[in-house]
Amino acid sequence: MSVLFEIRGVTKEYRGVPVVKNVDFTLLQGEVHAILGENGAGKSTLTKIMAGVVQPTVGSLSLDGQAVTFATPAIALEHGVAMVFQETTLIPSMTVAQNLFLGEERFLNRLRSIYISAQQFLQSLNFPVDPTVTVGSLGAAKKQMVEIARAVRHKARIIIFDEPTAALTPEEKHYFFALVERLKSRGVSIVFISHALEEALDIADRITVLRDGEHIVTDVTAEFDRDKIIRAMVGRSLSGELYQRRAQDQVRPPGRRVLSVQDLTMGNMVRNNSFSIFEGQITGMFGLVGSGRSETARIIAGIIKRDFFHGGEVRFEDRAVRYKVPAPAVKDGIVYVTEDRKLEGFFETMAVADNLYAGLLAKNLNSGGALVNMAEMRALADSWTRTLNIRATDKNARAVELSGGNQQKLVIGKALLQKPRLVIFDEPTRGVDVGAIGEIHQFINRIADDGLAVIMISSYLPEIMNLSDRILVFRQGRVVEEFTPGETTEEKIMYAAVH
Amino acid sequence: MMGPLRRALDRFRGAGEAAIALPPMDGAIRPNQALETAELVLEVERPDNLAFDGRRVFFSSGAAVLSFDPARGSTKAETLAVFESEVTCVATDRGGNLVVALDDGTVLFAAGPRKGQRISDPGARPSCPTALLLDENELIIAHGSRKHSPHGWKHDLMERNVSGSVWRVDLASAKPTCLADKLAFPYGVAFDQDKNIAIAESWRHRIVAAPGSSGGIAALLDHLPGYPARLSPATGGGYWLCIFAPRSRLVELVLLERDFCADMFLEVEPDYWIAPSLSSGRSFLEPLQGGGIKQLGILKPWAPSRSYGLLIRLDASFHPVASFHSRADGTRHGVTSCVDLGDHVMVTCKGGDAIVRLAPGLRKGSAGT
Repeated sequence: MSVLFEIRGVTKEYRGVPVVKNVDFTLLQGEVHAILGENGAGKSTLTKIMAGVVQPTVGSLSLDGQAVTFATPAIALEHGVAMVFQETTLIPSMTVAQNLFLGEERFLNRLRSIYISAQQFLQSLNFPVDPTVTVGSLGAAKKQMVEIARAVRHKARIIIFDEPTAALTPEEKHYFFALVERLKSRGVSIVFISHALEEALDIADRITVLRDGEHIVTDVTAEFDRDKIIRAMVGRSLSGELYQRRAQDQVRPPGRRVLSVQDLTMGNMVRNNSFSIFEGQITGMFGLVGSGRSETARIIAGIIKRDFFHGGEVRFEDRAVRYKVPAPAVKDGIVYVTEDRKLEGFFETMAVADNLYAGLLAKNLNSGGALVNMAEMRALADSWTRTLNIRATDKNARAVELSGGNQQKLVIGKALLQKPRLVIFDEPTRGVDVGAIGEIHQFINRIADDGLAVIMISSYLPEIMNLSDRILVFRQGRVVEEFTPGETTEEKIMYAAVH
Repeated sequence: MMGPLRRALDRFRGAGEAAIALPPMDGAIRPNQALETAELVLEVERPDNLAFDGRRVFFSSGAAVLSFDPARGSTKAETLAVFESEVTCVATDRGGNLVVALDDGTVLFAAGPRKGQRISDPGARPSCPTALLLDENELIIAHGSRKHSPHGWKHDLMERNVSGSVWRVDLASAKPTCLADKLAFPYGVAFDQDKNIAIAESWRHRIVAAPGSSGGIAALLDHLPGYPARLSPATGGGYWLCIFAPRSRLVELVLLERDFCADMFLEVEPDYWIAPSLSSGRSFLEPLQGGGIKQLGILKPWAPSRSYGLLIRLDASFHPVASFHSRADGTRHGVTSCVDLGDHVMVTCKGGDAIVRLAPGLRKGSAGT
């Protein structure tokens, strides 16, 4: 296979701090190339350079042997380089079809014809997305599908996927991998960032590993195994620490019942859903996308409301509650760590300290009243940055400049400093590298050990199996099965989620 | 003013008391078949009121009090006494005293040093003794209702009566003292760690502490998924709570529909009311909740049922830590009493006409599948 795209000696610095250091990278015609690395390894930055989202400080790019400069993503797209971002870049107020055809509008548009074209196109990709609904109403997985569909539509020669499968269910992943194979057979080259190492080993032809912004190794996939990749990524073997099935006696016993959800109903998404949450335990919630897990969690946290008529009952600390907005829920001690951190998790143009302080303000826990106490803000930032090991280029780094894993730690820190009694983690390690996954898992375990009630929604079964003290399986808007980790298998959980 | 308005609005939109929302059986109360597969000790008609005096296990069946020696693994019980009316509850102490309450309101010592002593009934007629607790010099009596006898518990529930009370009787002076009243069918009593009285209040699905000097009733455990019956102490601390019938959405709905209830009382035999039951599936005239209770002729364990078998292990703070079930497809339903013998637990399944023994390994453990 011939070299299609090449990067030579690329360095990218933010405020004088290099995040990518003198990296060489080649992409062959029609190959699937996985880029792996920890949080902050420089994967996203490298691919953003390839897609024209950021400009390299030093180094050159060449396409088909010709030197190119991508000043904007649009120019990169003109050259056939498209990127599907880790955090979706769709316009939430527009419909799926409008997003797909964005930039191709005519003077007079017939919505009906756009919808029909979009419907046919989405069906050809086997993506079950209604083109007439607004993107804002879609879950993370379906937004990802629309992103992928948009890249495919632009007939790109190189498609860069940044964590494409993080929010997809196993069935959806199966479709996605088939799509990648189809694209590959058409000669499209795929660059693929994933933290799911098995996926990289399954579908990639070659793998490149970055660490701390530096190129560590590039080789054909056959030369790698899971342990070798992890060693290259973190400089040590982590396989014993991650996703290791716990012994039955390590399951925490249930404490006091903190939350009782009874016959909760919200439209067709949540239907007569009942379950309890106990303090000192991690309750894992598994289900396919659309099974109502996130919606249930968001009703509990006051982000959305249950049905006005016969909506069931939510009892928190033995008191019936019906939050219309999240603020009273936060005041009562319920925090929700969102699955869509970019949109709902933080203020991306604000610094880490500002974001953490905003969490404090939400519960009026700050000491300054109406005034911002800068000393308190700095102390808070120092303390939580240390506690959660948030790595930023400098103290004043904006949230948007952090890597996915560090952003997630920031969101978690912001939630936890509100002194909650119930913490709901929605896909806590989505788009997070293996090193940070371990840290986040340790942190979740620690807060459960401290006696907090924890709900963890995850689409990744090893994570559910490893962390949960009890596992609730959702299907069609309700809990259909409850397991303890010691008595079940991934197959049993998946069976309950599907059948 | 706000109260009636709130209730009217709740009724309109199905919220608050009219939500018909039931607590789920999950966590420590997750369904399993542990009770259904427990070892059968005795097959006896409508057994109830297990009590242990340190040597023998006593229980009632109809108007008789029977006993057997648990050490022998006996499968045959001896009849100790037969009374003129049905025995509603019994209690023993380590001194060999056995006190018995009857459906007609009589409370008397049937064995032991106090044999023959009668306790004047402190409750109003018709008397409804549902549980007894015998201590050194005092007897605690739970009266389920002022309007019905224990036999009429179903009437009391469907009429939504709140007329139960708990009394302390000084055995020396025979003087009764009311500990709590306006209770919704107290069906079980136990001493907590501090010798205060814990009461299982059936129709409110909770366990409460009898009012102390402060005078208020405090819930120790509420929002149970069934109607609690007897409470008994567990070896190693904590308690066993018997649940004699499950709550169901259909029954909760019917309880709100007073006109329907009035018609049902007049026109339908109590055995076929839409009400909880100690056993079910014995007649096609029994009401079912929803369709699909049977698929291909097999009753599904998760099917809504009027009867159920459930025993809950509580810790010393009255939090559930484990549970033992006989589900809709089982027969060990209507669990009304149990006794912890140290190395195993005996349980009466009044609806299933059986006394069963929970295996030693199970009694500590959490719920299985």
